[in-house]
Amino acid sequence: MPTLFMAIAELCERLEKMTRRIPMVDIVAEFLVRLEASEIEPAVSMIQGRPLPKLSQRALNVSWATLGNIIMRITRVDWDTFLKVLSKTGDVGAATMEILNNRGVRQLSLYAKPLSIADVRKSFEAIAEAEGQGSKEKKERIIEALLSSASPLEAKYLVKIMIGEMRTGFHEGLMEHAVSKAFNVPLESVQTASMLLGDIGLVAYLAKTEGIEGILKVGFKTFRPVKLMLAQTAECVAEAIREHGGRTAFEFKLDGARVQIHKLGQEVKIYSRRLTDVTKSLPELVEAVKENMQAYEAILEGEVIAVDDNGQPMPFQHLMRRFKRVHELERTAEAVPVKLFLFDILYLNGESLINLSYYRRRQILAEVSGKLPLTEQLVTSDEGEAENFLLKAVESGHEGLMAKKLDSKYTPGIRGKHWLKIKPTLEPLDLVIVAAEYGYGRRHSWLSDYYLAARDAETGEFQVVGKTFKGLADHEITEVTSRLKELAIKEEGRRVMVLPKIVVEVAYNEIQKSQKYKCGLALRFARITRIRYDKAPEEADTIQRVRKIYERQFLWKGRFKAGEHNILTSQKGLNHE
Amino acid sequence: MNGMFKFRVSNAKLLRDMVAAISILVDEATFNVTPEGLGLRAMDPSRVAMVDFEWPKTVFEDFICTEPTKMCINLGELLKLIRRTVKDEDIELSMDEKTGKLQVKITGKYVRSFTMPLLEASEEEVPTPKIPFNVRAKAATDGLQGAIEEAGLVSDHVRIEADSEKLVLQAAGDIMGATITFQKGSTVLLDLEVKEPSKATFSLNYLSEIMKAASATSDIVTLEFSTDMPIRLDFHQAIGGKLAYYLAPRIESA
Repeated sequence: MPTLFMAIAELCERLEKMTRRIPMVDIVAEFLVRLEASEIEPAVSMIQGRPLPKLSQRALNVSWATLGNIIMRITRVDWDTFLKVLSKTGDVGAATMEILNNRGVRQLSLYAKPLSIADVRKSFEAIAEAEGQGSKEKKERIIEALLSSASPLEAKYLVKIMIGEMRTGFHEGLMEHAVSKAFNVPLESVQTASMLLGDIGLVAYLAKTEGIEGILKVGFKTFRPVKLMLAQTAECVAEAIREHGGRTAFEFKLDGARVQIHKLGQEVKIYSRRLTDVTKSLPELVEAVKENMQAYEAILEGEVIAVDDNGQPMPFQHLMRRFKRVHELERTAEAVPVKLFLFDILYLNGESLINLSYYRRRQILAEVSGKLPLTEQLVTSDEGEAENFLLKAVESGHEGLMAKKLDSKYTPGIRGKHWLKIKPTLEPLDLVIVAAEYGYGRRHSWLSDYYLAARDAETGEFQVVGKTFKGLADHEITEVTSRLKELAIKEEGRRVMVLPKIVVEVAYNEIQKSQKYKCGLALRFARITRIRYDKAPEEADTIQRVRKIYERQFLWKGRFKAGEHNILTSQKGLNHE
Repeated sequence: MNGMFKFRVSNAKLLRDMVAAISILVDEATFNVTPEGLGLRAMDPSRVAMVDFEWPKTVFEDFICTEPTKMCINLGELLKLIRRTVKDEDIELSMDEKTGKLQVKITGKYVRSFTMPLLEASEEEVPTPKIPFNVRAKAATDGLQGAIEEAGLVSDHVRIEADSEKLVLQAAGDIMGATITFQKGSTVLLDLEVKEPSKATFSLNYLSEIMKAASATSDIVTLEFSTDMPIRLDFHQAIGGKLAYYLAPRIESA
């Protein structure tokens, strides 16, 4: 008997209401045990809000606006009603369920056939496969058919899966626990296999069909990307040294794209941070690796950065242009030259290196990488030396430093303290809140997403330079919400325009050129560091000043080189990831 | 694709109108081609409506089919090719055995020949809904079509009601309403058999598209329905064969 999609919807509905992890793991494990083998990977993926297998190079490419239009069409609800329900529930999936439940008249279908997990996966595949002319309409028809044959609860989760926002709190780590429990395989083996296969769905399938033997057989394989080791944030170099036991290795943290490089003989493939194959966008790196890499078979990690004509690093956004334009390869390759810096090695000629220490891996990397540069490194226990190294990194146009514990293993997929990132911030700006949006989920009744504006010294106008929902504590958000409600001048759906009164101090990592706002600039990773009760909007920073800071960034990033590091301040306070 | 087929219709308009009538519900249509004729039964993607079509080989000027086979084509594309055809032109559809493509040959004042791809046939077998109908009404297609258009002026759905004397269309919009009554034996309502009074509500989007497209093929339509059940609209084909639609109702949810 095929399992119905309803079972997944009901399971997720239970998970959404639960907070304790152990019972959550238990009910998912019980659920997995009952599935047929062919349903396991689809179910595991869907429970985590993924319509297709994790490493599938395809995507649905369906926006929530498209989904909204379809929901309005099948329920004959208008946009205003839809937005009202959306801001009440704070979640597109929950809004869909409520609208479907409340529709007065319901269109029946000729043959109601309950959706199975396999049916749903088949529809998702068909959506992803729709390509070329008329593909948008085709995608819409498939989604319409899918939602028309779904109950309100099923529709809630179909929508959540399609937009990839589950919000049940059942993340991949817990899924590993559930798989371990369901198929009686030790957790550590499940975690290792999950890292190596890059998809817990596949691990679950293996566990079901081959048991522990199958799981233990999983090894590194070139051209099958593995999950990355992740880092936490440290406030300053001193904290990193302390955290790593008095001595640590600092590396330049480059402002580029992290890549995983697989080599077997003369074949080289490059994967992005999200494990998609980006080999075609980086042909010159493939050549460089072929020429220099001594090892026959290897999995390496590095950072790709964009450089200017003099080889100086350029801001991150230049590099992103490179990734987007896969079609005009050669032209862009000329326009945006890139450079690769290696920093780790996970696998070499048939052997896993992840259980060796960082220090040893780095030695091996240096031995096999030929002329390929490694990220600049400093091993030290001295704070002053580390401070200077950070300054040097920033002056050479890099983002900051990574600190890596010398005796640490490579722990894929885990965001631990063995790797710490340290970024300097630019001087904070005092900006004015000119509009706000209601948040999602827990924050759905709060105005928690703020449009931040700088004053135009010439016209007195406020110009938006960024948007953020980060930085304020809950009690501050509720306070700001009630103040903003008093200042409201106009509501547009979820967005409320307000009189420019509230001044906040905003930290950010970079100012970018952007079409998003009228002024042509945007703050990257903006977050509020405090509310400036003491400042009036007229005292806020000006757009002219923002522009000046933007230009000054280039003093470090390529072009000119100058010693203006007085505007560096060490990072205050906030984790921004 | 195993079997081979070739068939010719001497009045191109017949085929054109029929393709148009089917294409309102499905764009990739899988036809069954058998030695007896051409047929199709398909639902629209949201499974709200179904079309049931049959043309026996007597409708065709020539009809050759060596063994039962499926022909799946994009009706929108076919319609583009044959849209300009007129009554006294002649259309031949055949499968080119070498290329596996569909050949569309139109002969009028001059001859043009198109090829188009045959698509992967749908394997889904669509059953005929088994519905105990309590009302059976025979109506003039153009009269009923006009009434449906009028209901569409005020609402997007219409309630169809019948008792032993009359058939009533009731449309209620947000601010406007319409009631259209046909007495039994009038020039529009040719016949009415009612086992028990019944009523059901249907989407006018579907109904008016169906009426508009099918009226080009037929003068008389037989409606069959029961309370809150799908309606069947059977458009009589003077040349023989069948064109019927099923449409699921809309219901008030509790």
